Parts: sequence; structure tokens; C-alpha cells
Amino acid sequence: MASLGELERAVMERLWAADGPVAATLLRDGLADRALALTTVHTVLSRLEQKGFVVHDEARPRRFSARTSREEHAAEVMREVLGQAADRQAVLARFVGAVDADEARMLRDLLAAAGTDDAPQG
Amino acid sequence: MLPTTAALLAVLAALLAWPVPALLARARWPGRDPLVALLCWQAIGLAGGLSIIGALLVHGLAPWGHSLPEAAWSVLTAHSATEPVRGDHWVALTLAAVLASELVGVLVLSWVRITRTRRRHRELLELVVQPAPQPDTRLLEHPAPVAFCIPGARPLLVLSSGMVAELDEEQLAAVVAHERAHLGERHHLLLLPFVAWKAALPVLPAAERAHGAVRELVEMRADDVALTSLHGATPRRTLAEAIVAAAGGPGGGVPTGALAVSGAGVRARVVRLLEPPDPLSPAARWGALAAAVLLLLLPTALLLVPAVV
Repeated sequence: MASLGELERAVMERLWAADGPVAATLLRDGLADRALALTTVHTVLSRLEQKGFVVHDEARPRRFSARTSREEHAAEVMREVLGQAADRQAVLARFVGAVDADEARMLRDLLAAAGTDDAPQG
Repeated sequence: MLPTTAALLAVLAALLAWPVPALLARARWPGRDPLVALLCWQAIGLAGGLSIIGALLVHGLAPWGHSLPEAAWSVLTAHSATEPVRGDHWVALTLAAVLASELVGVLVLSWVRITRTRRRHRELLELVVQPAPQPDTRLLEHPAPVAFCIPGARPLLVLSSGMVAELDEEQLAAVVAHERAHLGERHHLLLLPFVAWKAALPVLPAAERAHGAVRELVEMRADDVALTSLHGATPRRTLAEAIVAAAGGPGGGVPTGALAVSGAGVRARVVRLLEPPDPLSPAARWGALAAAVLLLLLPTALLLVPAVV
């Protein structure tokens, strides 16, 4: 039994790959290898709608589409997840923040200088 | 008897609010043993809060008894004060209550807010990340070289495709080991009180200073832990290379995240990896740990001991 999170990802993949709005029945058929009930597909879709990732139109039956493209979503994720607010609250631990060009050059110089010293020791 | 205790606690609180954090923030030894320094910071924060609230309580409850436990007991059992209760007693009690509820309240609020933000971030991420070759690691399609972990009950360790493209196998292992160290040692919990109290006490320079120092120390500690699990010939250099590549990589519209840990912090980390300082001697190490324990015992003793003498 796949987790809801995993189903959400599978549904989003379908919506991102689709050319336009998709009906729930079509999504279920597209995910036929998972043998999902239509209600499950609807549950997943409404969860995605609540989270603001999916919108539906007023056609009958309703058709669903992703609110943003996959690339936009990734960019939005990066902006939000690595934004100032997250930084201030220590929500996550980032390996290292980006530095400006001067600072980056200085860091590379440090590395190069140490490289010549360390080389004999391996 | 009582005024002395209150005065001693107030002096201790003043020392912990200004000179002690200033000294520790300026000291050079924390870079030689970040873990011990982190424990010292926790002790300073805890002892500082305990002494200022304790000083106010001891003074405010003075009319009810000759020691804090005795006075607290007679208040709880609804005995009347044995000495006249003056205005300054009420002021001290009110301040103690306000300060205690602010410190605890902000801590709880920060925790709630941080947990909510983490859940939102996890939701956003889980839709687009894919399993990465490294175990328990997820890959995010994005050109900027970025790695981070979101702590919590279901931690999430994310590498960007830009990071994977920029680094070789060993460097990536170093990045993952560093992030795992944060998760394994629960560094987010060490950081939380300082994040919260910086928000609660924006006027106190020590809160800002402590927060900055603790942030840098957890990074150094994670570097140290990562080094112990790396197998290459020159793990220190590998990790330093990974830091330089990630810090100087193309931005690609990603926020820099350089708030407290600016360029200077990154440079300190790289220098420390390339030219490792001598570790603290066992004597110095135990001395620092003993000082941290004493720091906690001192206000506790001042609050409780007058009851038995």
C-alpha cells in the first residue's frame, strides 16, 4: 500500500506531464498499475488542492491541473525553503550559504594555498 | 539573609547577561572543541535565566519567609506574610512572572512556528524530490549547488542536482555526512533556545551574540563529526573543497541564506579544516565542562541552600 505522500507525487507527475486539465477518471486510468479506487484519487486531489498545488475547473466532470509548472514549483520551493524567514528561525540546517564573488575568490585562494602545502603529505 | 541571596543572584545574572557571553564569544578555544563550547553556551543561557528570575522571586517573596522554598511553601499554603509586603516586592514578583512567562512562552511559540514551517517545507519538497543514490537522501532538480536537512520526526536530507553536478563522489559523501551529523546530534534543539531568546530579548546584545556563536559552533561540530566517518586520504581537504564549491557556486535565484553566518563564518570553517587547531587538552576540556556544571549549580544552590542552613 503506497503512502499518501507517494500517491500525491505520482498524481502531480501526471498533472505536470499532461497537456491540459485532466479528469479524475483519466488520472485513475493513467495510474492503473496501482489499482486505485476513484475515491482515493479524489482524496489525493483534494489534499493537493488544500495545499495549493492543484486547481480544478468548473467543467462536468471536474478537471484538474497543476497550479504551476514543475520548474516553477522547484524554484518556489527553493525560494521559500531557503528564504530569509527560514534562516531566521533555524527551520533547517543548510550545508553552507552562498557568498559573494569576492568572498568566493578568497575561499578558492585559501584552498589553493593550502593545496601546495599539503601536497607532500598526501 | 535573604537580601544577600537576591543580590548575589542579581550579580550572577548581570555577569551572565554581558561579560561572560562577551568573553566566550571572543575566546579562541571554542573552535578547538565546539561540543564543549556548545555545552557552555547552554549552561550560560540556563543559568542566566535562572538567576535573574530567581533574584526577582527571592526579593519579591522575602516577606513570606527567609528562604525561597520556605516562602514559596507559605504562599502555597495560603499563610499570610510575616513582614509587611511593600510595593517593591510586588514589582519584583510581577517582573519575575512576566519574564518567566515571556522566556517560556517565546520558546514554546518558536517551537510551534518552526514545526509548522518545517511541515510546510516538507510538503513542498516531497512533491518534487526523488531518491538520490546516497541512502536516505533526496534529489531536488535545481541548478544551484544546495544541500540542507529538515530535522524532525521524519527528517529530510536534500541535495540539489546542481550540488551533485558540482562535486565529486567523495565531496558529496562529506556533505551528506555533515548534514547527517546535524540530524544525529539534534543540533536544531541546541539552537532552538537561542533562536527563541534572541526574539524574546532583542535589546540584550548577549542574546544576539550567543545565537551567532552557537550557529557557528554547530556547523564546526557537524564538520568534526563528518570527518570521523569519511574514508578518503584527505577528508579535511575534501570537506573544505565541498564548502568552497557550494558557497561559491552559481546562485540561480536561490536566497543566499547568509544571515548570521556570513562570509567570515564560512572562511573560519574552511581555515579550520585546512589548518586544524590543536584539540583542547583533556584538563582544559574537563575544566570547561566543570565550569559549565558549576555555573548551573551556583544559582540552584543560591536558591535552595538558604532553606537548610
